[in-house]
Amino acid sequence: MTQLNRIGCVLCEEFDMAGQRAQWKGFIKLGEVSCGVALYTAASTSERITFNTINTATGNRVNRVFIDSDTEEPVPKEAQTKGFEIENGQYIIIDPGEVAATIPESNKTLEVESFIPCSDVDDVYFDKPYYLTPDRMGTDAFAALRDGMRKSKVAAIARTVLFRRMRTVLIRPHGKGLIATTLNYDYEVRSSKKAFEDMPKIKIQGEMLDLAKHIIATKKGEFDPAAFDDRYEAALAELVKAKIEGKALPKRKKVEVSKPNDLLAALRESAGLGKTKEDKPKRTAANANKGAGRQRSARGAASKTASSKAAPQRKAG
Amino acid sequence: MALRPYWKGYLKLSLVTCPVSMMPATSEAEKVRFHTLNKETGNRVVSQYIDSVTGKPVKDDDEAKGYARGENDYVVLTDDDLDAVALDSVKTIDIDKFAPDDSIEWVYLERPHYLMPDDPVGHEAFAVIRDAMKADKVVGISKLVIGRRERAVVLEPRDDGIVLWSLRFGDEVRPEENYFEDIEAEADKEVVPLVQKLIKQKIARWSPDMVSDPIQDALLKLIEQKKKQLKLKKTAKGKKAETAPASNVVNIMDALRKSVEADLKKKKAS
Repeated sequence: MTQLNRIGCVLCEEFDMAGQRAQWKGFIKLGEVSCGVALYTAASTSERITFNTINTATGNRVNRVFIDSDTEEPVPKEAQTKGFEIENGQYIIIDPGEVAATIPESNKTLEVESFIPCSDVDDVYFDKPYYLTPDRMGTDAFAALRDGMRKSKVAAIARTVLFRRMRTVLIRPHGKGLIATTLNYDYEVRSSKKAFEDMPKIKIQGEMLDLAKHIIATKKGEFDPAAFDDRYEAALAELVKAKIEGKALPKRKKVEVSKPNDLLAALRESAGLGKTKEDKPKRTAANANKGAGRQRSARGAASKTASSKAAPQRKAG
Repeated sequence: MALRPYWKGYLKLSLVTCPVSMMPATSEAEKVRFHTLNKETGNRVVSQYIDSVTGKPVKDDDEAKGYARGENDYVVLTDDDLDAVALDSVKTIDIDKFAPDDSIEWVYLERPHYLMPDDPVGHEAFAVIRDAMKADKVVGISKLVIGRRERAVVLEPRDDGIVLWSLRFGDEVRPEENYFEDIEAEADKEVVPLVQKLIKQKIARWSPDMVSDPIQDALLKLIEQKKKQLKLKKTAKGKKAETAPASNVVNIMDALRKSVEADLKKKKAS
């Protein structure tokens, strides 16, 4: 439904210099300052593997038809309309044209209602990102807003009618431009507090925490999401091949869950500190053939046993 | 509300493994949903599968997924077959890297999920991984098969659990240079402090009130009203009320529009 709305609601057919089509054109307004802006889709969804639905009784493909739930007669497109269920099986018919009429007149203005500190942003609300760019006349005001927000370390909250809904967007500086992310509605986001409320309150300290931090130190690095490859299609092709040739399907390794009693030993072994109990490896010995970075983190882990208070504060869910 | 887990598997760091379950952090369940109806009868329209050759309806049990081998030639794959695909990332989130917690571009964040231990046996192991990430201010990087794609995922500790973000692929994020290259790199130095002053006046704490949905609120109010009207009708006529007549529908739309506008005005005024 939202998808359809989005496609059906490309209001702007103009292309800018880069040959991209704006999803929305309007203004951004802060107090009495406003400038013309456009929104461009920053991310799209690429295809995943689709299957055909097959009737196993005949081996034929199936077609989908739309029928009346009561009479079971096919319902042609012209006879289909929208409605909502008010009680079991009772519906109010609404014409799609009339649904459209409920959307308030858009003033085409992203009005900045407030600024929130970047550290206060709750990313679980993020929906879709858009690149926000100024028109030629608005570039001074745009750059001033961008640099002011960057210096003050804030993101802006603005609202407007977007894609036929009243949407809230979070706007933040990004390079020379701004990125506007539509936010999910309050009722669409589950509270993390509630989701996690049944979990026992365990706070890990001491050796276990130090060992885990030590493991993290050995795996620390940069990550570039753009360079990531999807191996699913190739793995599926392998599976299909095996099935066609009547071979046994590939098997994954069986997963072995760590037992609570073995957790410390598993951490020690993972950290490269061996699992023998009596012969406690000395730091120097353990680091003899390792890099300097590792030595540093091992020392840090040993000396700062009680420093777990540095855990970052997370915002409320 | 008791939530059904949507995926069950394992969280793994080096030699430490624990059973976990995961659910999406967002849900459309509370959204006012429209259904397709048959104008003539007022009944729901439902989809049905028919055999493309025989034209007969297909029983649910006979439906299967087919991988196209050639024209009109399909290899049938059962759910068990699909589950056997030879990737450990179908069942195991193996954290192979850690990155600073502010280093993942927001534009790559696709969908958030809540990850939690699925069995008491793993409570402590889960807590170790979570607390160590918290203490080091890092996020975990791994991969996971979600919806027939293997995606990079990011694990951020949050409260007593972990938020798992699936990430977009490189080819799903459009290159920003195409959009931003013509924008001025630096603003007028005299103007920026003024903007910062304005920002200071409008600074606020994040609150879910900022993401309310006035259109949905208006729809919900109307559904309530409509229910009441139907009840009245039922008692008055002593029989089952039928679908609302067309004249009534128009009034609903007017009322809807008015309440949305009123709500917007109220928002602006406050």
